Order: sequence, then structure tokens, then C-alpha cells
Amino acid sequence: MNDYPRRITLQEWDAHYVQLREAGMREPPYGGTLRRHVEEGDLRLRTLLFDNSSAALRLWNFLLTEEDRLREARTAGKKIVGTMKDLGTVPVMAYALPNVVAFYPDGAWWIPCVMELSEGLFGIADSLGIDEAFCPVRAMLGAFITEAHFPVPDLLICSAGATCDDFSAIAQRLNGLGYPIVWWEIPHRRIPDPDEERVELPGGFAAPASQVAFVREELERLRTVLEQFAGVPLNDGALSAGIARANEVRRLLAELRQLTFTAELCPLPALEMLIAEMLAIHFCSDQAETIEVLRELLREVRGRVEARQGVLEADAVRVFWVNPVADLQVMNLLEDCGGRICGTEYLFSHALDEIPENLPPMEALARMALADPMVGSAADRAARICADTRRFGAEAVLISRIPGASHCATEGIIIAEAVRSRLRIPVLEIEVPPLSDSIKPMLRTRLEALIETSKELRKTCCVPE
Amino acid sequence: MKTVVYVSPFVPQEWIAAHGLQPSRVLLEHTKRVAIAQPAAGVCPFARAFIAFGLSLTDESAIVATTECDQMRRAAELLAGESSAPLFLLNVPTTWQTTTAHRLYISELERLSAFMVRLGGKAPTKEELTDVMLRYDALRAEIRGARGSLSGRAYSEAISRFHREGAADLSAARAAPLARGVPLALLGGPLTGEHFRIFDLIEEAGGQVVLDGTETGERTLPRAFERRRLHEDPFPELADAYFGTIPDAFRRPNSQLYHWLKGETARRGIRGIILRRYLWCDTWHAEVQRMKEWSPAPVLDLDVGDDDCESRAASRIQSFVGMLR
Amino acid sequence: MLCAGIDAGSRAIKVVLLNADERQVIASGCADQGVHHDSLAMRLFEEVLERAGCRREGVSRIVATGYARNAVNVADTTVTEITCHACGVHHLVPDAMTVVEIGGQDSKLLRLNRDGVVFDFAMNDRCAAGTGRFLEMVAARLEVELQALGMLAAKSQKPAAISSMCAVFAETEIIGLLASGVSREDIAAGVQASIAARVASMAGRNLNPPVVFTGGVAMIPGMTKALEAALGQPVSVAPSPQMTGALGAALIASRQMAQKGSR
Repeated sequence: MNDYPRRITLQEWDAHYVQLREAGMREPPYGGTLRRHVEEGDLRLRTLLFDNSSAALRLWNFLLTEEDRLREARTAGKKIVGTMKDLGTVPVMAYALPNVVAFYPDGAWWIPCVMELSEGLFGIADSLGIDEAFCPVRAMLGAFITEAHFPVPDLLICSAGATCDDFSAIAQRLNGLGYPIVWWEIPHRRIPDPDEERVELPGGFAAPASQVAFVREELERLRTVLEQFAGVPLNDGALSAGIARANEVRRLLAELRQLTFTAELCPLPALEMLIAEMLAIHFCSDQAETIEVLRELLREVRGRVEARQGVLEADAVRVFWVNPVADLQVMNLLEDCGGRICGTEYLFSHALDEIPENLPPMEALARMALADPMVGSAADRAARICADTRRFGAEAVLISRIPGASHCATEGIIIAEAVRSRLRIPVLEIEVPPLSDSIKPMLRTRLEALIETSKELRKTCCVPE
Repeated sequence: MKTVVYVSPFVPQEWIAAHGLQPSRVLLEHTKRVAIAQPAAGVCPFARAFIAFGLSLTDESAIVATTECDQMRRAAELLAGESSAPLFLLNVPTTWQTTTAHRLYISELERLSAFMVRLGGKAPTKEELTDVMLRYDALRAEIRGARGSLSGRAYSEAISRFHREGAADLSAARAAPLARGVPLALLGGPLTGEHFRIFDLIEEAGGQVVLDGTETGERTLPRAFERRRLHEDPFPELADAYFGTIPDAFRRPNSQLYHWLKGETARRGIRGIILRRYLWCDTWHAEVQRMKEWSPAPVLDLDVGDDDCESRAASRIQSFVGMLR
Repeated sequence: MLCAGIDAGSRAIKVVLLNADERQVIASGCADQGVHHDSLAMRLFEEVLERAGCRREGVSRIVATGYARNAVNVADTTVTEITCHACGVHHLVPDAMTVVEIGGQDSKLLRLNRDGVVFDFAMNDRCAAGTGRFLEMVAARLEVELQALGMLAAKSQKPAAISSMCAVFAETEIIGLLASGVSREDIAAGVQASIAARVASMAGRNLNPPVVFTGGVAMIPGMTKALEAALGQPVSVAPSPQMTGALGAALIASRQMAQKGSR
């Protein structure tokens, strides 16, 4: 156990790191100070607050060294597959192969924030006609051009259909620039008609059996692509083992979420939880290490909960957060304003649910892919948000709109209305650009107002009839 | 007879008509305001107009919405809870090069059939469907044949009227004077009723639309039906003509659009392309720069907001045509 | 016991001095906002104190609110304008269930319970369309004083359709409309309707009456009517609408003192 849990600055981490080393902290090969990432260009770290545990340090280091891992994988002769607009399906298949590493190029959307625009990725996207009317994921285009943030994958696979227009258009632009893409169709999930066979999906959703069969066929097509790519067969046995490993990650995250979101005192800050949850999508390019990182983090959190220790005030307002935030600093800001995260829906809630292991693997993966919140209706998504808000006992819901994202414009309204009418708790919608410094006072006012309102409601417990 | 309204070119007119219902691919009015909670910034004006239109309907009509883009899919979701008209959401696959995508489209048309039967329609026999398809094919051929004798606007309006009413009355269209100007292609998503003014603006500037590549225009006319396949089994032929041959920007990959445009540009001696796109329409927006890089002819990017103010568009078109002349 | 509320808004600073025992306003003042938030707030506060014949030491508690609230060093604490406006309006119009506040930089819609406590609220996004700043821009573009904009709008025969959701696009629309020969009257009426429509969009589907309109923009003629049309229900303007935030802040200060006393 480190000293008392708290959020500390980068500067404080410098000294803290020395103390931890002196106290015998053991680190993985990618370990080291957080400061070195700043020296490599991750300037945003200078303004963030971090958890002070060695487990959190390992998590950050794991996240910020993904590029090194990818380059090492290539040097070692492994093949790299970029799985785009895919929040947790094809990576599970790819990691079932011995010589393949999957990664998530869409993750480049955080680079402009982390590097405080110093990398010029938006400028490249602008020059390709993908301007700020698009979601920040447009940074990915620039990253492909510069090759400075990840090696160009040997194979690109991208889902299309019931996805957001932004990403689909950006991926098409990439394709138009000469990057071959294997497209696969994910249809809009619909409610089964009365005369159709109904299939239950992870997360409490349902779809017609015909849609599940369609997705399974699409995934079978990808299985063939991956087999040819890797030069080895991808049989059901290997897939089942891959699903079991993915589920191990998901189970660790489920426990971490349950503990963190329901503990009396918040045991882990929002930022570290966000990064941990993101690992479910693509394992930060190393599935085995993801499991180790999460195990250590979970040990830390368990210890804190048992010791009744927390990183925030005891009266922090319990907030459910919807959508990933473009500027990481805003997660800190919510906590500075007196909030804590108790529940999240970052558009990949299906990647946190266990993949059914009692089904043939391709059937299980198809069901899981169809449970993606993006492919269903906003009403479905709102229903899950309401259920999870209740489950984690959140007192308010915060919807973080992604600038330019095609789904956010109408989805926020539907989610907010659902929360208001079903849960009768405050809902706030904010829009967060990749660097929010210039609008920080405005954001602070809104977040403080949400906290004030929620605290006032604690006293009265009275909402209108 | 119940009217089935829709805006997508991937909803086959013949399929609705063969069920004994009235198909109408409507022309929206973009200036109509949405009466319910207005979506926040970021919603494309066409999707907003579609919501407004759907809200104005009674249960005398039914709506078929489609999933070509996220915005229209979500507009359909808003309407499903608010409109008095029954709504069907047709899943149009984005991918098109695989047999699974084709099969999905066919199964969606079958589901649409069941919806129409629930509305009071009757599933057609092979013969009935063949007859309807032949009738519509003949009307389309008549319209296509008149292209050279009609002004750009008249030709596009005739197509739109055919989609709306299922008729090819070209007498009024033929009365419109023919302009001779710089040959241009007009490309982009759907037009609304008010937006046909763009043809006049182009002619006033000294240009002439010889290729209407908007979603409202000839780009989205399905190919002529193959008689042999039609008589063998009309339904797969119907699905293939619509799903297999209409080029569009939303398709993945959308190489078919560029292939089509390349051929038509050469055939019609096109000297410039006007790419007209709605604000917040990511699908067409993302094509602007690519088209500029790809096209041998200059490309004008014309964005359209909620406003119907034409002075801005007029000055851009004038500059563009002036440059070409 | 004296308490004070200072509302350091984006366009103006407002100060209310309150006799906390009587819940009566003793004095109030308003001044333009500038670059040096703290010194401007302090200057106005001292002016108000002087007018009331009071001294700084006699003020038991000061609450600052508004966009620049954290810059007001004289304040004992800060509270957001959402809570303060709700408190101020509830004091003046106790049965208010919905509060619309349009200020220089923000527009807000607050839903109150019967005790006047905010149970939900919505605010404009980053864009300035739908705020006082937008009206100022329009007034400048139409070459009229801000206060005269309402008079101009009242003469409109056919309000122009300003439908852009973004201030920059809306300005482009206005320029286009002027170039197309649309009258200034119709543009002014269109702008008011557009701002009201944005507020209505924040209201969603459930709006509990009575609705009270407050904030600086409530003083501009014609805006209330436009809001009524957009919301589809009567709207009343809070007394001294520009001051409700500062009043709410002063009331909260007095409540905090009372709570302190009871402990």
C-alpha cells in the first residue's frame, strides 16, 4: 500500500516516484516516471491530477507506451491489425491468433488533447478536408499520414453501417488516400417483429435471430480474412480461448467498477477509471499485460475500500458519466467541483459485459457485437444508462457531447428525457473540445451548478409531481 | 389507398405499388420548423426537415425511413415516438460488394412487404410484380429519353415528379426553354423543393446542369431491368437494380460513385462539378477534398444551411462559372 | 444583520445589499464589467455601501456569483448563478416553477420544485447564439441600440427565418438577409424568435408553469412575447430581472449565516 490515497500533480509525482523506488517499488519494463512522457510530448500531463498509487502509475505507463509496444511487435515479426470503429469484437478474434497484435487507431482521438495540439494532427486532417465539423477522431487521419504515433498496420478492418457518420466518412477518406480497408457490416439493431425469433443479447438487449445470423456471417468472413492474414487457422477452440481471456479482462473491470462506483468513499479517481475501462476495447496492444495491470489496480482498490480510504471528499456527489470526454482534464474538473464518478457509459458498455461462453464462439461474438450501444437506438442506450444509474446509485447524469459527432446531436436529448422522466434526477449536457482551457470557467460553472443542485436535492428529497 | 412516403432512393417504388399502395418519394421543404424539442446544433437541415415532415403526417400515410446515414436513422427514431403515421425503418446496408449485404437488403424488402400487408396492402404475385416493374421501367425510360430536350431543371423536376407521383408527364417540362451554358455536374445529397432554384442560379451565371448527380436526380434512377431475369423472377431483379447499381457517397467503399462520375463526366463533356452539401452532413462533406483531388474538372463546394438565403450561393456560383468561362 | 450578493456577470456586475433579518434590499447597484473583475466589483460594492450608509465591516457575509465569481476576492464564498437566480426568483415570485434566464454569455432554463430548489437545469452550449452577446452583435449589425432592437422587431410584418444553431452561421444568415433586401424589422423579429426557440429547445417536452423570465435580456422589449410564442405559455418578467442573481446570492449569504447561527 502506498501512502494515503489522493490525487497528486505531475510535480508531486516526481518526488513520490523517488520515494516509491526507494521503498522498493518494482516496475515492468515500460515503467518509469510520468515526467518522461511530458518530455516526449504528452504535455497535457502537466495539468492533470493523478492517483498516487504505484498501480495507477503502471496503468498510465502502460497506456502511454503503446506505440513502443506496437513497434516492438513489428520488429519481432508479429503482424499488426488495425481494428477501426470496433469496440471490442474483432480484437478478441485477432488476439486468438498467436502472431497477431490488434490495436485501435480510433484511439488517436486523444492525441491532440494529450499533446496539447503540438503534434499537428488536426492540421493534417483539415488539409484533407476533414475539418472541425467532424468529431476529434479525425486526428486519426493525421496519425496515419505522419506515422509518428503508431506504425501503419498490415491490415485494416473497419465496421460500417450502424456506426457514426463521422468515423465512417473519415475511414472512407483514409481508404481514398490508398489505405486498403476490409469493411464489414454491422446493421442497426432493431426490435424483433412479432413473427421473428428473438435472441437475447448481453446487456439486456434483444435482436431478431436473422440479424444475429447476419453478423455471424460477416464475422465468419473476417475469420477467413484473419486466417489468410496470419497464415494459421483460427479454429473454434482458439476463439473460445480468446473469448475466455477477454472475459478475464471484463470480469476484472466489472469488479473494479462495482467497487469503485459503489464504495462509500471513492477509492479511485475518474481518470484512472476511464483508462482502465478503455483497456476492455483492445487491451492496449497487449492482452496478457492488460490483465496484470488490472489485477494490480484492483488489489489497490480493494485495499482502499477495506481500509475505508478514498481520494475524494465523503460528500462528493455521485455522477453517472455518458460518452468519452475529449479533454481528459474535465474528468479532474468534475472532481474538483465536488463530484465523483459512479457509473459510466462511454459507448462501449457491451465491451464490459462478458461474452457468453456457453455458445459457439462466433455466435457469442455476433451477439456481443450487436449489443454495441452505437448500433442500437438511443432509447435502448438510454434504458441501459437509466438501469446502470440506478444500479450504482448515481445522483445526477452528465452527458458529455463530443464536438461534431453525428450521433450526439439528437441522442443527448433522448437520453436526457429518459433520465428525467424515469429517474427524476438532474441531467446536464456539456460539450467538451479536445482542449477545453478557454472554456474552463464556463464548464466549471455548469459542473458546480450540477453539484450544488444535487446537494440541495439531498436535503429536500423533493422533486415536483 | 394508403400512401407510403419516403425520401430514400433505395426504397423501390415498384415494391410499394405492387402491394396496392401509393408510393411517394416526397420532396421536403427545408424551411419548415420542427415543432417538438429541437435537436441541438449538429443536425443536418435535411434530417430536420424530414422530422418536421414526419410530424405533419396523419395515420393516412405511412413512413419508410432508411439507415443510409446516422442522422436519418436517428431522425427516424425521433419520429417513431412522435409521428401519428406508422413508421418502418428499412436497413440499407452500407457495404455492397458481398453476398451477405445483398441478402440483407432482400430480407429487408421482405420485411417491408410484411409491414405493407399490415397496412392493408397485399403481397404481389410474380406476375403482378412483373407488370408493375415493366410499367415503371417504361416510365423511367421515357424520362431518360427526354433528357436532351429538357433544361437541367425541367429534367430533374420531371424525375422528382415521377418519384413523387409515379407519372411521367413531360409536356410541361418540354415547355421550359433550353439553356446553353458551361456544362456542369451538380452532385450531392437530396434537394428540397426550394433548392431547385440552384438550377436557375447556375443558368443565370452562364452554366448549365447536364448531369444531376444529387440524390433527387438521375444518379439515383435504378438501371433498366433485364427482361430475362425479370421474367424468371422479378423480385431478385428488383433488389439487384436498386441495391446493386445506385452509386452513393455513403457506401463502403464508395468507389462506385467515382466510377460512375468518371464515366458520365467524360460522356457529357462536363467542365465543372458543383458539390452541394448540407451543413453537418459528414458523408458528403468528407468527399469534398477528395473529389477536388480526384476530379480533372474544377469542383465548387457549396454548403447549405437552414437558411434559404440564395445570395451567398449565387455569388459563389457566378464566380465558379465565370472562372470556367 | 447585513448580507451582500455580488453577481459578476460577463457584461455587468450587480451588487445587492440585504437586511437579512427583514429580507429587505437596502441598496443595489449595477456597473459595466471589464477586464479587472475584482477591482470593478469592489468599486461597485463600495459605492452601494456608501449609498446605504453602511461600512464593509458591517456586512456579515458576502456571496459572489456569476461568470467571474471566483475573481471577487471580497466574497466569503461563491455559488453558481443557477442556484442564485433560482433563489432570487423564488423570493420574488414564490410560485415560479420554471425560470428562464438569459444573460450576456449564457442562457439557462431552471426547473424548480415547490420549495424553490432547482431539481434540473439546462444551459446553452458553447455557442453564443441565444444569449445577450448575440443580441448585441445583431444590434450592431442592424445599426441600432440594443434597447431599440425590440421596438424595431415590433414593427415587423414577416419575421425572417433565422434558423442557424450557431452564432457565426446566424450572423452569416443575417448578412445574407440584409443583402437580399429583408427589412431590419423582420430580421430583428426573426432574431428574437430564434433566441426564444433555442430556449424552448432547452425546455424539452415538460415545462411546468408559471414561467418567469429573468436576466438582462428580459429587459429588452419584445423578448418576453417571443418567449411566450416559443414556449406556448404565458411568461412573466421577474421584478428587476438583471438583479435576481445578486439578490439570490445575498439571500443565500443570509441563509448561510442563519445556518451558522443555528449550529
